[in-house]
Amino acid sequence: MVRVLELDSLSKSYDGTVALDGLSFAVGEGQVFGFVGPNGAGKTTAMRIILGVLAADAGEVRWRKRPLDHELRRRIGYMPEERGLYPKMHVAEQLTYLAEVHGVATDEARANTARWLERLGIADRAHDRVEELSLGNQQRVQLAAALVHEPDLLVLDEPFSGLDPVGVDVLSEVLLDVTRERGVPVIFSSHQLELVERLCDAVAIIRSGRLVASGRVDELRTREAGNRWKVEVDGAPEDWADRLDGVHHLGDSSYELDPGIDPQTLLAEARRAGAVNHFAREVPGLAELFREVIGADAGKDGDS
Amino acid sequence: MTNRRAIFLTARREVRDRLRSRAFLIATGLQVAVVLVIVAVSAITGGDDTQKYDLGVVGDQEALVQQARAQAQAFDVELTVKQVADRADAEKQVDEGNLDAAIDSGELITSASTEDTLVALVQSAARTATASEELRGHGLSTAETERVLNPPQLERVEVGGGDEGQGLAWIAALLLYIAIFSYGVAVATGVVEEKSTRVVEVILSAIRPVQLLAGKVLGIGLVGIVQVLLIVAVGLGAALPLDTIDLPSSTPTLAILVAIYFPLGYLLYACAFAATGSLVSRQEDVQSATSPLFILLVGGYILSFSGIGTPDSTVAVICTFVPFFAPMIAPARAAQDALPAWEAALSIALMLLAIAALIWLAARIYERAVLRMGAPIRWREALKLVRTPAS
Repeated sequence: MVRVLELDSLSKSYDGTVALDGLSFAVGEGQVFGFVGPNGAGKTTAMRIILGVLAADAGEVRWRKRPLDHELRRRIGYMPEERGLYPKMHVAEQLTYLAEVHGVATDEARANTARWLERLGIADRAHDRVEELSLGNQQRVQLAAALVHEPDLLVLDEPFSGLDPVGVDVLSEVLLDVTRERGVPVIFSSHQLELVERLCDAVAIIRSGRLVASGRVDELRTREAGNRWKVEVDGAPEDWADRLDGVHHLGDSSYELDPGIDPQTLLAEARRAGAVNHFAREVPGLAELFREVIGADAGKDGDS
Repeated sequence: MTNRRAIFLTARREVRDRLRSRAFLIATGLQVAVVLVIVAVSAITGGDDTQKYDLGVVGDQEALVQQARAQAQAFDVELTVKQVADRADAEKQVDEGNLDAAIDSGELITSASTEDTLVALVQSAARTATASEELRGHGLSTAETERVLNPPQLERVEVGGGDEGQGLAWIAALLLYIAIFSYGVAVATGVVEEKSTRVVEVILSAIRPVQLLAGKVLGIGLVGIVQVLLIVAVGLGAALPLDTIDLPSSTPTLAILVAIYFPLGYLLYACAFAATGSLVSRQEDVQSATSPLFILLVGGYILSFSGIGTPDSTVAVICTFVPFFAPMIAPARAAQDALPAWEAALSIALMLLAIAALIWLAARIYERAVLRMGAPIRWREALKLVRTPAS
């Protein structure tokens, strides 16, 4: 994986409260990257540091091995969690302005605006004030605002919150298209873990400003899964596996194997007990994984 | 992106924002309408303050009437001479007020309401008429008598201003106060709007805080200057063709000083309002945060009353040199011809210094506070921020 965006040991405290505590992770070329963690874990702080609207106390953000500076940051498309638009400004004028502020020439800014409004299905609202739009449409304008200068990286803070299912579909489709067409990596935070799992190539899970786990979603799932198997055996007694050492029955048809125990022993025992109609490694979903790595001490994290 | 382009873009947005706003257009229209009404009312009522007198004449008093007409010009009054049939009629008309006074063979018929000016005028005319007759009797030519009796008048020099420019001084102080007030508030609410909507995060990921601040202050200021000039132009444009309105001789100086002091006063207050706005995150907190500035501004406006009443008073002179008060007091004094050039120059120089200092301070506070969300930042904290490196 080519690491395009690297967060390296970021730390930040506000008036004695630690928001980030040596956070590091990397986003690869063309990846859709999910950023998850309980409220107050430091996601927004990390994003604001990436955008340079907040300075880290320590650590560094790098873009293709170079420390992220002002010029490079202009190539980022950013969508803050709350609004991020002038409520009284007309949609098209606003998008053109934001593109220009990001260094795009006026003509190109206008063309990009028209194209993204068309693409997001809000071309007919181009001359309305932002505050006159429905929440869903405002969110589309926000997304257009993040895309209108054709950025090299998208950083979106909770882009899906408050969207209806259609909005979620439109937004996810756009994000996938942008990464596919232009190879633009997208990093976004979300609490909708099923969505993160469906969209993301890789994730970072953080808690209390520290990284808990990060990597490709499938790898993480297997890695964090442990050695857990689902075995269904017809006609076998409930306790068919009890005499095997290092195998723990977790209830239903789940069995956890201690490290070093060969799953084949379990299978052999199962076949002795009856007709095996299901034997597979149990891989937890992201939600389950999240609960597992966060859940234990989620109560400690306050909201911020 | 160049500094200039970043500032231009943000300033242009501010200008468009205002021109697009119905509230702004309505307010401007109202202000122009108010100015027109003021001009119209003063044209109809007080405008023409030249005194008019009706003087009755019994019998042939040609020499005296001629002199009276000449004197009327010197006295700056309009004199209408009416022939009256006889003494009784003259007395009756003066008594009824149809005539202000009447002359009849060496007597001046007056009533209680006859003004001293008219009496003095007629007396002077009578003296001159008699003298002129005497002189001619002694063989002097008409031209010679004229020269003796009507020597060139002393040129009149007015000092201390007096009432002449007071009306204009009131208007100037009020206009500057309202303009600085409303545009200063616009800067503060604009800063907070960007903060509360988090637009500021998006913009500041692309341009620097100082560029956004400069663009905002310049854009709003530009609209303000155009609006103030529009009001002044409409006022003068409406007043000048109506020659019934006497504009004091100080008007051009005043117009220039308004054109200087509005931008300066605006800049000074706009910086202060911007820095204050950056300390809060919600529109609800703007008012309490900016109240110290209101106190300064309203205080300056109230102090300008003393500059209007007694433009040479110590208070007025001192306030001329206090940058936060000067924008309202200096033009008010100038309207009454009571602002010496050196005082104006020093006052403007002090304002420029104060503005330079405040721009520096405001930019530092703004840079450090504008991205801090949450509870309002206290002034003591803000001043501490100034000493920390920018985040």
